Amino acid sequence: MADDSQRNFRSVYYEKVGFRGVEEKKSLEILLKDDRLDIEKLCTFSQRFPLPSVYRILVWKVLLGIIPPHHESHTLVMNYRREQYWDIHHALRIIRFINDSTPQVDVFLRIHQLESGKLPRNLAFPLEPEDEVFLAIAKAMEEMVEDPIECYWLVSCFVNQLNSKHKDSLQQLPKILEQYLNVEDNRLLMHLKACSAMSKLPYNLWFKKCFAGCLPESSLQRVWDKVISGSCKILVFVAVEILLTFKMKIIALNTAEKITQFLENIPQDNTDAIVSKAVDLWRMHCGTPAHSV
Amino acid sequence: MAQQANVGELLSMLDSPILGVLEDITAAFKDNLICDRGPMLVNNLVDYYLETNSQQALHILSTLQEPHDKHLLDKINEYMGKAATRLPTLSLLGHVIRRQPSWKHKLSQAPLLLSLLKCLKTDTDVVVLTTGVLVLITMLPMIPQSGKQYLHDFFGIFGRLSAWCLQNSGHVAETYLVHLHASVYALFHRLYGMYPCNFVSFLRSHYSMKENLETFEEVVKPMMEHVRIHPELVTGSKDHELDPRRWKRLETHDVVIECAKISLDPAEASYEDGYYSVSRKLCTSLKHHQTDPSASHYIDTQSSYGTSTPYSTPRLTLSQMPGQLPQILSPQSMRLSTEPQQVTIWSPSAVCGMTTPPTSPGITPSESSQSASQPYSKAFSTSAGGKGTPLGTPATSPPPACISDDFVHVSLPSAAATPPKKEDKPDPGRPLLYRQQNVTNSEKSLDTPGSKSSVTLSDLPEFLGGLSFEDSAEKDREEDAISKEISEITTDAEHMVPRGGFDSPFYRSNESLSGSQKKTHSVVSSVQGHGLTSEPLTSSLDKPGPESARETPKQTFTPIDKPCGGSGESPAGNREGTSGETSILTPSPCKVPAQRRVGFGSGQPPLYEHLFEVALPKTAYLFVGKKTEELLKKAKGTQDEDCMSSTSPVEVLDRLIQQGADAHTKELSKLSLPSKSADWTHFGGSPPSDEIHTLRNQLLLLHNQLLYERFKRQQHALRNRRLLRKVIKATALEEHNAAMKDQLKLQEREIQAFKLSLQKEQARYHQFQEEHENIVAQLHSQIRQLQHDREEFYNQSQELQTKLEDCRNMIADLRLELKKANNKVCHTELLLSQVSQKLSNSESVQQQMEFLNRQLLVLGEVNELYLEQLQHKHTDTTKEVEMLHAAFRKELEKAKFCVQQQSQRLDASQKRIAELESQLAKKDHLFLEQKKYLEDIKIQARGQLQAVESRYKAQKRITQAFELEILDLFGRLEKSSLLKKLEEKTEAAEAAEERLDCGNEGCADTVAGYSEETIGRNGETKPPSTRGSSSSKGGSSSELSTPEKPQNQRFSSRWETSMLLEPSTTVPLTVGSLPSSKSFLGMKARELFRNKSESQCDEEGVTINSLSDTLKTELCKDPSMETKAPPSPDNLSLSPKIQESSVGQLHIMDYNETHHDHS
Repeated sequence: MADDSQRNFRSVYYEKVGFRGVEEKKSLEILLKDDRLDIEKLCTFSQRFPLPSVYRILVWKVLLGIIPPHHESHTLVMNYRREQYWDIHHALRIIRFINDSTPQVDVFLRIHQLESGKLPRNLAFPLEPEDEVFLAIAKAMEEMVEDPIECYWLVSCFVNQLNSKHKDSLQQLPKILEQYLNVEDNRLLMHLKACSAMSKLPYNLWFKKCFAGCLPESSLQRVWDKVISGSCKILVFVAVEILLTFKMKIIALNTAEKITQFLENIPQDNTDAIVSKAVDLWRMHCGTPAHSV
Repeated sequence: MAQQANVGELLSMLDSPILGVLEDITAAFKDNLICDRGPMLVNNLVDYYLETNSQQALHILSTLQEPHDKHLLDKINEYMGKAATRLPTLSLLGHVIRRQPSWKHKLSQAPLLLSLLKCLKTDTDVVVLTTGVLVLITMLPMIPQSGKQYLHDFFGIFGRLSAWCLQNSGHVAETYLVHLHASVYALFHRLYGMYPCNFVSFLRSHYSMKENLETFEEVVKPMMEHVRIHPELVTGSKDHELDPRRWKRLETHDVVIECAKISLDPAEASYEDGYYSVSRKLCTSLKHHQTDPSASHYIDTQSSYGTSTPYSTPRLTLSQMPGQLPQILSPQSMRLSTEPQQVTIWSPSAVCGMTTPPTSPGITPSESSQSASQPYSKAFSTSAGGKGTPLGTPATSPPPACISDDFVHVSLPSAAATPPKKEDKPDPGRPLLYRQQNVTNSEKSLDTPGSKSSVTLSDLPEFLGGLSFEDSAEKDREEDAISKEISEITTDAEHMVPRGGFDSPFYRSNESLSGSQKKTHSVVSSVQGHGLTSEPLTSSLDKPGPESARETPKQTFTPIDKPCGGSGESPAGNREGTSGETSILTPSPCKVPAQRRVGFGSGQPPLYEHLFEVALPKTAYLFVGKKTEELLKKAKGTQDEDCMSSTSPVEVLDRLIQQGADAHTKELSKLSLPSKSADWTHFGGSPPSDEIHTLRNQLLLLHNQLLYERFKRQQHALRNRRLLRKVIKATALEEHNAAMKDQLKLQEREIQAFKLSLQKEQARYHQFQEEHENIVAQLHSQIRQLQHDREEFYNQSQELQTKLEDCRNMIADLRLELKKANNKVCHTELLLSQVSQKLSNSESVQQQMEFLNRQLLVLGEVNELYLEQLQHKHTDTTKEVEMLHAAFRKELEKAKFCVQQQSQRLDASQKRIAELESQLAKKDHLFLEQKKYLEDIKIQARGQLQAVESRYKAQKRITQAFELEILDLFGRLEKSSLLKKLEEKTEAAEAAEERLDCGNEGCADTVAGYSEETIGRNGETKPPSTRGSSSSKGGSSSELSTPEKPQNQRFSSRWETSMLLEPSTTVPLTVGSLPSSKSFLGMKARELFRNKSESQCDEEGVTINSLSDTLKTELCKDPSMETKAPPSPDNLSLSPKIQESSVGQLHIMDYNETHHDHS
């Protein structure tokens, strides 16, 4: 933070009083002013504070490597990206995988498949689980981003990141969930174990799809902020918080199937609070976010 | 009990007649008392005393010490309760109290006092009452303070007894009442003296009652006539007189004297100070008018004594004569001198002729009696000396000078007479002191005669009156006695020494009783004797004083010896037989009462009448007035009470006693001595028992009275001793003062002498001073003259000196001149010698000059020669040197300049270096910046490249997808056509089969080429025409045929050739279309892509082969295919080679490029 002096001196106290994100926008702007964007700092910032929605897409793009850190090459690279998109789009049209009526999400899927070389021989081929994940994420992302090209790139890169960077840690998450649940609410854990629901919790929905389709987009953005900036543990805490929030209902349910069913369709009304609590919980357990990467 | 028995034995032995045993027993008792603290021994003693009336027991009891007092008092109290033993108990108590034991203060707390008071209040026996009252009176001054709580008891007792006196309720004998009355009178005095206010208030309240009025009139009022107003009544109060502070300062005898002071009764009163003088004066002035002139005269002469009356002054004057009355100046003697005969005669012992001397425990009685007896004689001796003159000269106007002359004579012999007397005294210190004073006081004694005469004058009429009765026959006897005694002086001294040895307590108690009795008699006789001898003494003044003074010791000492020797020349022996008899016949007091009893009730012997008159001037006056009446009363044997109203009860008692004594002597004279009891029977038959009882009681009462009087006398003695001490002190001080005055006078005299000598010395001094001054003046004038002379001489000398100076100056001048002349002479001589020397020198020089001239000539020639030689040489060398110098100088300058230049250059270069260094630093900085920038750019480019790459990958995927699609389509197409041909022409089908094979291969080639083209054209995609197909054979051949094409175009050329070989291909591949050599990046990218594409080509080739294989299998068995197959591997095997070479080229180029770029 080179321009510390310019910052509001009250910023230190805002957080204490409970106003979050008042000063973040300014500091983020300062960060984004740098010619060569510092990815590390952006990561730290994104982990520590919630991103303002104005800059969210830009930050995401930078963090996911869609655009390079230099401002100069942004337009150029984006042009490339666009052309690439359109090329593939065109190719897919040629080979008649897509047409005008094809939904955007499917288009994204096909483009992604083509790009990764996993395009099936024809449309009749059934969708694989990872495609399902892609579709769910893409669907969620489509709501957040207007531009289809940006959306495609974000989805594609997000999925790629999940598959490459977090592949190992994602597999550990159920265990970690159990561990933290034990710390937070032992009774609930015992109940879940008694119902033998621990193994049947919707891990796929939670950890592979990153709650896409489970939480509304406004809440999901904040979760993904953390995931994109490199911490996939937040997913565990969101899951723990969901369990804690609906503890009474879960305890009321006896069978694993019912629990799973309930958890897959949780009410969407107070997800913001859940996410906030989850972030707090995450901060509490993992300490300074910068070190929890 | 052994001890009990022991005590019994001791008691029985107590009265043993053997002296030694007595002493032992008494000592044993005392030891026992000290050891034993129990009451047993005391009780036994008391019992024993009450039984036997033993004197020894009484003695022991009366000297009991502290711890036994309680037992004694308890015992006495016990016996007091019983009426039978009351009287002896009371007498015992009286004995004990009169001893004034150390525990007397305890009496007030003891129950004994209460019982005594009770007894006095209730008892009806007059004897007991009288005894008790006397005891009480004795006790009162001992407990003045603590007794105040019984004050009203005392007063009550007084009231009762006074009433008793009047009423005589018990109808006892009148004689008893006389005793009782006397004791009540004493009580009245005591109470009035001690507690006047309380007592008066009691009297006031008690006698204000009517029933007591008579008592007051009859009894109390006469008593009050004999007292003065007590000063306490004026100044004090009831509370004040009970104040402990009042009594604290007073001892017992002080209290007694206090009480005596206020009495007007001469028998009771004490005439210490003014009281007496006033009272006496009143009496004497009335009686003796004829003495007034002399008295007044004495007041004149004694004016120095101020207000002191003639009667009081003698004491003082006497006290001023220590030389004459050295040690014996006791108060008694003084009192004797003032009221000489009164006291001596009025002492009852003298009257009765049997009194025991005051045996006070502290003082040796014999000594005191001696000292008491001596003063009498002494005083009379002096007074006798003084009396001579008034007798010889008319009494009305005695010349003072004559008297003084006389008394010089008297005093001197008396002073001379004293020494032998002093030696008798045990105290050796005083005589010496007084003897010295005698000398100094000789002058002072001149003053004394007046005082002496005053003594004599005052009493003279009485003396004369009394002495006129005396017969002159005694005078002769006296003379004889004196002459004999003078001869015995030497033996007397010897007698006196052993007397001191007899001074043991027991001896004293026995001996002194008898001895003192005699002494008193002798005193009386001596008084008489001296009174008589006063007349003849006028003629012989020298002798009588000393004679009489010597007589008295004789008389006093001798009686002890004399009785043993029977009668003789003692004065007592010269007297009537009565006194001698009593003295001899009464060795122990036990016999005295018996003798007395006889005396009482009988008539008076006329012999003592005149003695009473002499002794009692005051009473004598009354006595003479009422002599006739008294005589009548005496004949009756009783005394009339009425006449007592004017006289004090004491006098009445005295008279009673005298009458008794007279009667006794009368009776005795008639009786034969040896058998007294027989006499009794002979005298009056068997006496009635009642009478005997009465007499016995009377005797007891009398004894009590006597004891009381004795106690009083003791108190007086105590006081006298104290006063004596004071007087001695005063006289000592006065002596001291006188001595001091003498010294002062001596010193003054010395001072005067010194003053005189001082004056003389001063005069001499003045004389000397004048002489000295004269001499000094003379000397001064001489000095002045001499000085003048000196000045003159000085002037002369100065003048001479100036002359001398002048002379000296002249001499100096002359000397200078002489010196100058000498100098000149010397100079000239020197010059002369110099000239002569010069002359000789010049001669020699001339010779030398000649020689030198010659030499010079020779040398000049040689010189010229050398000069010539030298001139030649010198010219060349100098020029060269100059030239060299110049050259060197220039060179030096040049070098200097050069150095300067060099240094400037150095500076410049250094600056340059600094500049360059800074530039270098800048450049380095720039370099760094550039590097950073480059990095930045690299990263940027990498990002872009990544994007591009991804695009490329996408493109490849697209192409793949397309190819797949195409192949799929082809496959379908072929299938459909084959099916058609099979149906139509089987031959054509074979051909078609071949073509298909070729087409497959070509297709693969074209696909690769197309891909390369698309890259080179930067994305402009055109669906490649798959129509043109050529044989692969030709392609291979052409490839071999074109080796000399540029390297960088080799690939393309290959593909070109292959393309060219195919006639169907419409689009020519141009080298320029490639992004070749325009930019480094482009080139590099191309190389890289090509490289990659090559590798991909291989892969694709493989895949294609595999595809074709699959196709083959699909297209079924075609033998031609197998034959055609080898060429394609060949074709493919070529490509790796090319690849390697191209890669090597790239490396070289890359190196170059990077090198260039970095530079």
